[in-house]
Amino acid sequence: MKFKLAKFPLYLAITLAAVFFLLPLGSAAEYALREPLKKTYGLDNFTWFMTQPDFGHYVGISFGLSLGAALVTLVLLVPTVIWLNLGGARLRRFVEFITLLPLVIPVVALAIGAQTSLPDFAQTQEGVLSFMYAVLALPYAYRTLDIGLRAVPLNTIVEAARGLGAGWFRTILQVVVPVVRGPVISSLFMTLALSLGEFTLTSLMHWDTFTTWVTTISQQNILGAIALSVFSLVAVFVLLLVIGLFIKTPSSQAQPEDK
Amino acid sequence: MNQTEARPLTGRGAPKRGAPAVRSLALILGVAPLLAFMTVFFFWPLWDVVIRSLQDNFGNPSAANYIAALKEPYISAFRTSIELGLLSAVSSSIPGAILAYIIETQGGSQLRKVISSISGVLANTGGVPLAFMFIAAFGAEGSATALLKAFGLDIYAGNFTLFSFGGLILVYTYFQIPMMVIVFSPAVHGIRREWKEAAQNLGASRLQFWRLVGVPLLFPSFIASFLLLFAAAFSAFATARAMTTGTVALVPLMIGSLVDGNVINDQVNLGKALAVSMVIVAALAMVPYLIIQRRAEKWQNR
Repeated sequence: MKFKLAKFPLYLAITLAAVFFLLPLGSAAEYALREPLKKTYGLDNFTWFMTQPDFGHYVGISFGLSLGAALVTLVLLVPTVIWLNLGGARLRRFVEFITLLPLVIPVVALAIGAQTSLPDFAQTQEGVLSFMYAVLALPYAYRTLDIGLRAVPLNTIVEAARGLGAGWFRTILQVVVPVVRGPVISSLFMTLALSLGEFTLTSLMHWDTFTTWVTTISQQNILGAIALSVFSLVAVFVLLLVIGLFIKTPSSQAQPEDK
Repeated sequence: MNQTEARPLTGRGAPKRGAPAVRSLALILGVAPLLAFMTVFFFWPLWDVVIRSLQDNFGNPSAANYIAALKEPYISAFRTSIELGLLSAVSSSIPGAILAYIIETQGGSQLRKVISSISGVLANTGGVPLAFMFIAAFGAEGSATALLKAFGLDIYAGNFTLFSFGGLILVYTYFQIPMMVIVFSPAVHGIRREWKEAAQNLGASRLQFWRLVGVPLLFPSFIASFLLLFAAAFSAFATARAMTTGTVALVPLMIGSLVDGNVINDQVNLGKALAVSMVIVAALAMVPYLIIQRRAEKWQNR
């Protein structure tokens, strides 16, 4: 990258932002690497939480529930958004509005409502959290998906395939699926990442996952808990950055450079 | 919105066009599964909170929960929560808007993509991990505190603590600024270069362009984003709970204590009345947001 003086505000802004957002993470990492008894740095705090008997258990629960939420998004949201992009433009505003609501309505209110309104069998299954997580991720998942799909001339592609004699089944499998793969995967990872970090709803509905476990162990071993926090933040970071950077949507290659 | 999308499908590949009623039915059937899902896991729980908030302990209709919710200590908690929402929105929307503007106007498409991914991650940090990060950085022994001290700025010179109202506002910037970047960037992106050129060709100075075109176009989106940030800070629970152990009285935390049974109250549905009141405050903030967004959409989406 060549340095251009005209771009000085950009460099300054990026630098300041990088300092502000990396400093807390870096400081927490520094704490996590401390070994106060030996007065050195090391990985003791990391090995401590990894050898906790509950560690694998809660990682498993959180991953399972989050994968469930991503599955709900895949089955329910993806067909709906594809449908809206194919022919349902008139309902798009409405769907856009209702999928924004979970962002606006305080999660606290939803949590105490879910506690009393859901049927008993759902109350006793931790799996119900997958559905609730999917609801909370809707505003982000919907927008990711919709923006991605809008960039694709889905109608034209489908018409072309149909015009060339492909049946509906073949059109969906060989034309629609490859075209929408990028946005779909992004929205699923978005759901996954949000679900992995969910705390409010989980704790108010009195379930235990990885996030509530971090709170619990912070009372036993503060440095271990900090190490665990750093681990979880970095893990989610890497997860999201990998999808953000490495999954090329077919549209991004075809799109002309905007602006 | 792209006008061509609203056109009905034509040609061989298009679905058969039946009577309008049939088409409408097909349209509704397409979104029915999502609607049903949201009804069970979103609308129904909220409806249930509303109904129960209007009942006394025996299920009889009553306004007693709301009467209690409007008394101390709850009314003060509402005031504190609203103040927190407003101050957090002020302190994050301005740097966020500047950042969004600089990145959108000067950054390449690759950079904007990276920033948008990172913002997505940062906007969703919270709870205990976020609290730890800030204690490590801005706590009394933190690295940022030491760094600022080296520059002659001692944030602990007054009676600042991280576990206070002011501390929360600082911590909230960590997810609020990225949130602002996410929601405000499309508006900046929508200011088209052609408009700037058109204004210049018509003889407008830079200042005139901003005064007459740029700011009037961006201001509504700024207010809309501000309101979204307000709603986010107003209802944030995880971070507030991790940072303050009851030192700052906020409505979500009070509801949490009532739900967990940490606070004994003889009105079982009081927490629900508080929750409904929160929904009302958040909804009041979002009505102007929706109106503004609808107007802005006219020129943002080409």
